[in-house]
Amino acid sequence: MTFAVQTGLFFRRKLLETLRQPVWIITGLTTPVLYLALFAPLLRSLAGGPAFPPGHVLDVFVPGIMVLIAFGAGMGAGWPVIWELDSGVIERLRVTPASRLTLLLGTVLRDIVMFAVPGAVVIIVASAFGFHDHWGGLVLLLVLLALLTAACSATSSALGLILKQIGSLAAVVTGMQLPLTLLAGILLPLSLGPAWLRVLGHLNPMYYAVQAARSLAAGAVANWTVGVGFAVTGVIAALALYWGTRAYQRAMA
Amino acid sequence: MSAPPTAAVSISGLRKSFRLKGKTLEAVSGIDLTVATGEIFGLLGPNGAGKTTTLRILTTLLPADAGTAYVAGADVRRNPALVRRRIGYVGQLGGADASATGRENLLLAGRLYGLSAVAASRRCDELAAAFGLSEFADRAVRTYSGGQRRRLEVALGIMHKPRVLFLDEPTTGLDPQNRASLWTHLRSLRAEGTTVFLTTHYLDEADQLSDRVAIVDHGRVIALGTPDQLKRRYSADTISVTPDLDPASLPEVSRVLSDAVSAREAAIEHAAIRLTVADTREAMLTVLGVLAARGVSLLAASVGRPSLDDVFLRETGRSLRDAGASADDSSAAVAPSEEVAA
Repeated sequence: MTFAVQTGLFFRRKLLETLRQPVWIITGLTTPVLYLALFAPLLRSLAGGPAFPPGHVLDVFVPGIMVLIAFGAGMGAGWPVIWELDSGVIERLRVTPASRLTLLLGTVLRDIVMFAVPGAVVIIVASAFGFHDHWGGLVLLLVLLALLTAACSATSSALGLILKQIGSLAAVVTGMQLPLTLLAGILLPLSLGPAWLRVLGHLNPMYYAVQAARSLAAGAVANWTVGVGFAVTGVIAALALYWGTRAYQRAMA
Repeated sequence: MSAPPTAAVSISGLRKSFRLKGKTLEAVSGIDLTVATGEIFGLLGPNGAGKTTTLRILTTLLPADAGTAYVAGADVRRNPALVRRRIGYVGQLGGADASATGRENLLLAGRLYGLSAVAASRRCDELAAAFGLSEFADRAVRTYSGGQRRRLEVALGIMHKPRVLFLDEPTTGLDPQNRASLWTHLRSLRAEGTTVFLTTHYLDEADQLSDRVAIVDHGRVIALGTPDQLKRRYSADTISVTPDLDPASLPEVSRVLSDAVSAREAAIEHAAIRLTVADTREAMLTVLGVLAARGVSLLAASVGRPSLDDVFLRETGRSLRDAGASADDSSAAVAPSEEVAA
């Protein structure tokens, strides 16, 4: 039994689980499009104003939505983990020879799909409304944010395995959501804020992913910002995968 | 280090403590056990006796604090990966994936143990038929009844034909019919050479299903043997008769009957006379003869068999039932007795 086959088996299992709950697929697709439709008009009056980055408003905003989708797709992973703890699924799988990393990766890969599909829809819709496509950059953008999804997914799984209760998990995840997304400049660029806010932003690993995403979406592929974005996101993803695997090794219902 | 033993399970000096709210709780306090290949072994005890913790250590889910454990020839601590390949596990929570179909559950389990897609599919059909699941194998497990689900979970545990199958409280929450059906499945597994290791808090399950039983309490084995050995060692057989007589004359009748069967003990409980004897069948015939000769008719008569609860009572001073063993299903815990129509 190879690592790849095992991962594939778990990926298939999680994907089927998602496909059987159409409500998630529908909200997963409509939410990002609603952001485009409802939030982007608000930004139009800011564009061109002081401290707002140059470019079409969607060129600034779409990379942010993409990061938000990646964050949302990954951070949902912990809930089913708790159901699986409660129903003994994880305990049963832990007694099989399956590698703990593949258990985690099945969910991570499913979440990457759950990011990539709505992400692609957003790009297509946005480009019809004035978003400038730079295809090379967009491909790298998807890769970068797939790494971010993996980091969030593994983190959420680890939290679920450690906290073991829906209430605690919800508190921690929603508690993290506001500071992480705000201080990453996802919806509004941090350049609009005061100096102390920008300093805090630099302490947030997601900030570098957002900066790199904006650069990539603008077609600027080979620069320092993109390099730092990949490096920070890659390291965070690796740490999260390690943490999630450890959590699976220790999980007790 | 000695060579791995050939027994299916071999435990010595096993210990495990948990820290809970600043207090240390010893769940397993030095358990030694050997389970032979091909037997059904029952770990009987009240809730909190350390049964589940022991099972979790044997199935590689928990590391022990001290002691050694070999399962199917492999060291649980040094070689958990090999143990996992050789055992099956059916946990208390079950562990079937409710959103998937029965077939998907079985195929995944088979593939994880290295079966090819074709082999897994063949084994899945075989088990679905054996466990009466074929009809709804393609329905989501969420729609299964309790009994169907439990059968699927046992099938999940044996997809890869493990050498040792561990089950944690396998019949808790099942109705009598489903319990009986599960027992039949476990017996046929033994017939195929699989060692079955189960925990239970049901007296009759330990008694009727297990070849050998270890009774545990407070993390220790307090008695070990075949159910018959244990019952013989710890308790005597009794018969009980309720003659159609004025209560005032019961002591006299009791004395006569006690002498007639050379009873070791005689007691009057309500309207019944309870005699502790060596051979219950012979004693019952004698008692019926004596009463008939005196022209006394009978309201009730019964032969009481000693139960594993007597063993627990002798060792701990508590009844297993009072120890919180089977509050959820008192009928299942009733000691087996034969009612004799009078």
